[in-house]
Amino acid sequence: MAKVAVLTNDLQYDLVHKNQERIDAVTEATPAFSGFLNEMRKRGHHIIHLQLINLPDDPNAERYEGRLPSQKGTQGAEIMPVFLDESDILIEKNKDSGFYETDLHERLQALGVDTVLVTGMQGQICVQTTAADAFFRGYNIYIPSDCVVSAQEADKVRALDWLEGYCATVVDSAEILRLLDTEGHLPRKIVKTP
Amino acid sequence: MSTTSFLDQKIVLDHGTGARLSRELVEFVVDVLGDVYTGEMEDSAMLPVPAGNIALTTDSFVVDPPIFGNGDIGKIAVCGTVNDLAVVGAKPEYLTLAMILETGLPLSVLHQVLESVRDTAKEAGVKIVAGDTKVVGVGEADKIFLNTTGVGVFHRAPLRMSSVRPGDRIILSGPIGNHTVHLLSVREGLGFESNVLSDCAPLNGMIGELDAVVASGAVHSMRDVTRGGLSAVLHEYSSAVGRIMAIEEEALPIDFATRMASDMLGINPINAANEGCLALFVAPEAVDEVLATLHAHPYGRQAVVIGEVTDRAEKGVEMTGADGRVNTIEELQGAELPRLC
Repeated sequence: MAKVAVLTNDLQYDLVHKNQERIDAVTEATPAFSGFLNEMRKRGHHIIHLQLINLPDDPNAERYEGRLPSQKGTQGAEIMPVFLDESDILIEKNKDSGFYETDLHERLQALGVDTVLVTGMQGQICVQTTAADAFFRGYNIYIPSDCVVSAQEADKVRALDWLEGYCATVVDSAEILRLLDTEGHLPRKIVKTP
Repeated sequence: MSTTSFLDQKIVLDHGTGARLSRELVEFVVDVLGDVYTGEMEDSAMLPVPAGNIALTTDSFVVDPPIFGNGDIGKIAVCGTVNDLAVVGAKPEYLTLAMILETGLPLSVLHQVLESVRDTAKEAGVKIVAGDTKVVGVGEADKIFLNTTGVGVFHRAPLRMSSVRPGDRIILSGPIGNHTVHLLSVREGLGFESNVLSDCAPLNGMIGELDAVVASGAVHSMRDVTRGGLSAVLHEYSSAVGRIMAIEEEALPIDFATRMASDMLGINPINAANEGCLALFVAPEAVDEVLATLHAHPYGRQAVVIGEVTDRAEKGVEMTGADGRVNTIEELQGAELPRLC
């Protein structure tokens, strides 16, 4: 069986509730997204939530009207329960990519994972950067398009185009489940670098 | 004075007041710079003046973050000034080093920066002949700012933009965009920082390898492609010589990961700052020799012809895309991205 992990990004109260556009986009995606996570859990695959923790001394961390959101230990930093299960793994990150100065790579290696499914919010930032980082580390990358959220649909479309063009296979979550059930694995995209 | 005792400390205002802590800091700086520093603690450096002309240039450095992959603010501060001297045909000889330090800067960071200044100055064959240190309060600067002023000596006629001629080929000595992508990735944790490193390098050694062909007059002008990127350099030359600069998009040396990151970030690599890339304007008959010389040097292995100076007496830059369409490259009105050098 394929050694697959689903990576979610930033499904946290503060970050989702930043504005109405984000709330609406997450609300719309939630049934398919949480359902897909449940299906993956049933199949024995790992769900890893990348939890953005903003550091108070990070000058580049985005402030919301002067307030630093998603600080360690706050309710706003918690993963929303609809996406969370007690069997899931949480990894804190302080930057956009889930690999940046975290032990995500080592954890994936220890689990024997060779394929990552990158999901979450927002498509054009954390999903793209985490996928890029995974690509450079040699992972096979899939993007379940209905489990990627952006406040603006145009940003999501552009992000999915970029991911498909450079480093990932972009399909919907139903197709991923079908491939896993019928093929037993997710075929690796052949990326030709010039 | 013990160096290790300093490394556990942080900069305080008294390091800049001229009293004992100031003296100890200066001793620390001199100690780290070693034989690269030739100052005599007089109020001015006293240097032999060569016959003929000198080149003189100055630059300030505020790069954020100050330490990054394949470099730091110390390396950039030497490279930036050395390269500015070398591209006009001068042999870099002397640098000054002025530092503005923010209270709270760990001495270990300063130590690392000074080691880079020392090592890069050694590679470039220049001496640090004078220096200055100022300390400011928290928030009055960001960690560390540097200024270097450089003196170079001309052993031949200077290279000037006005020497560029229609028909000259435009050569880039290396890939563009890496420095900018690396810094942005380090700042935001974008996932490219370990795959795309800064190109920061002293280029006077490579330029020195071109001595024979430069002396023949076939290399008409050179410019290091820094702030504003390739676009700024080409616009500057176009304005200076009054000719359209024409380049081929497919010829541009852009690494795969850099192109990937640039597409993600919405930046155009031709506007991106670099710290180790030359644009050379070369007579057509000398192109093969110049390319062969550049390819033989570690900093020039990816050198390539990207276009030419047209005979059209207008100002502007044109780029032919992969589909054959010709696009005008507009000159940026302002800095697209701050604090890259």
